[in-house]
Amino acid sequence: MSANLENKIALVTGARGGIGRAVCKRLRQEGATVFAADIDSLGSVGSGETDSAGAEKTGPAGAEEREGEFLKMDVTIEDEVVAAFDAVAQKHQRLDILVNAAGIEIEKSIEETSLEEWNKIFAVNVTGMFLACKHALPLLRKGGNPSIINFGSYDGFIADPQLAAYCATKGAVHALTRAMACDHGPEGIRVNAICPGYIDTPMLQSFFSSAGEGGDIKSLQNAVRDVHPLRRYGTPEDIASLVNFLAGDESRYASGQLWVLDGGLSAQVQQMRL
Amino acid sequence: MGKAALVTGGSRGIGRAIAERLHSEGYDVLTCGRGRRPEDLPSAIGWAQADVSDSEQTDALAQKMLDEYGGVALLVNNAGVQVEKTVAQSSNEDWEKVIGTNCRGVFNMCRALLPSMEKNGGVIINIGSISGELSDGNMALYNASKAFVHALTRSIALDHGPNVRCNAILPGWIETEMAADAFALAEDPEAAKTDALKRHPARRFGKPEDIANAVVWLASEQAGFATGQCFRIDGGLTSASPLQPMLFS
Repeated sequence: MSANLENKIALVTGARGGIGRAVCKRLRQEGATVFAADIDSLGSVGSGETDSAGAEKTGPAGAEEREGEFLKMDVTIEDEVVAAFDAVAQKHQRLDILVNAAGIEIEKSIEETSLEEWNKIFAVNVTGMFLACKHALPLLRKGGNPSIINFGSYDGFIADPQLAAYCATKGAVHALTRAMACDHGPEGIRVNAICPGYIDTPMLQSFFSSAGEGGDIKSLQNAVRDVHPLRRYGTPEDIASLVNFLAGDESRYASGQLWVLDGGLSAQVQQMRL
Repeated sequence: MGKAALVTGGSRGIGRAIAERLHSEGYDVLTCGRGRRPEDLPSAIGWAQADVSDSEQTDALAQKMLDEYGGVALLVNNAGVQVEKTVAQSSNEDWEKVIGTNCRGVFNMCRALLPSMEKNGGVIINIGSISGELSDGNMALYNASKAFVHALTRSIALDHGPNVRCNAILPGWIETEMAADAFALAEDPEAAKTDALKRHPARRFGKPEDIANAVVWLASEQAGFATGQCFRIDGGLTSASPLQPMLFS
């Protein structure tokens, strides 16, 4: 099989998260030139907070997990966003693929969420996406069959408890995806969102550690797994596979859509334990 | 005389609650079922024995409505059946039963009464299901039949407006004899019930009256701009993750 993304130029935000890494790796395998943007070259260091697109933000990763040319970019800081795209422009004068994978999660109800936390999660998950898209557009217009891929979530459709602000940001991502598809479709730019369910990443493992504290974590993990029609968690590679499709020319008529990838989890009515 | 309403499948459960509520709101109500008139059905509510899956019977029912009630302001398509099977398990008879009643029955009633409704104005309310939008396990034909009802609702709204408004109500778990039986059969009925309640943000199951309330609103002029929509009445069940309360107790 020939490479799907030969000669394409791609930039991935949140590129050092669990999903971001898998995305960079796949895009490189498919022949794309990849710019890996994140707040530092290992990914941010978390303290209870994690990269919603995947990784618990700790620990050094091997070079093979850090594919692509690193660009420092805090998506909440406009100057850094502009500088990163300037760097791409100087080398290639165009961009074909933008993957917005930067995101954080706050596990609280709105009553427990401070205004500062609320503003922070919106700054990263929504404003960060806005800034990256806004400043990528001039370069994307010069690209070939350009594609923007945002990270929404199945939580943008149905709520998990104690994730109110996170759910709200993902709903905003879904609406932004459709709005940009409408505005920029006429210039040939496609915009889609991937809405992952439960993806096996360090973040999910740490989530289970706290959710199952004092109990049998393994049986909790298995029970949750078995609610999925496919009876498994997703992998970062599953997500990267969809990114590859949406980034490439095979999906040239797909735009403005929300691509749920959750092993069938959200296709079902809640299964009562009868 | 009040406005005339026809409610299919009104012998018990949701249909019965809708028929009684409409009667108390001043409608002249005719309801129907495949069996004899239930003994406890209030005498002011009319009864017709009819199987909605048979178009000869629905045509006769529609004619009775027009002749004896002078028209029809409201049609509530509530009659429905379910078969608990997967696709591989379902027989031709299962198909005929579920699709015949849930799909052809709704179509039959609408086709028979739309000419009068288009001329004189009218409201159609179809009872769909959350299972038509999200799947219940081992309910393949039922799930699909309800999706049919939802799509038909939109088509009728489009093709037969502005004189006819058509909406669907999608009930979640409603406390009926059927639901009670399901709990009774559980290994630990009490635990099963507790688990099921925790999955509902409203922390209760629905009552047939909850659906009747929505019918009254949608039938009224208060809902004059609502058409072609599918409204879920499920205590929040489908807005919540399928993983609670397992993961989030």
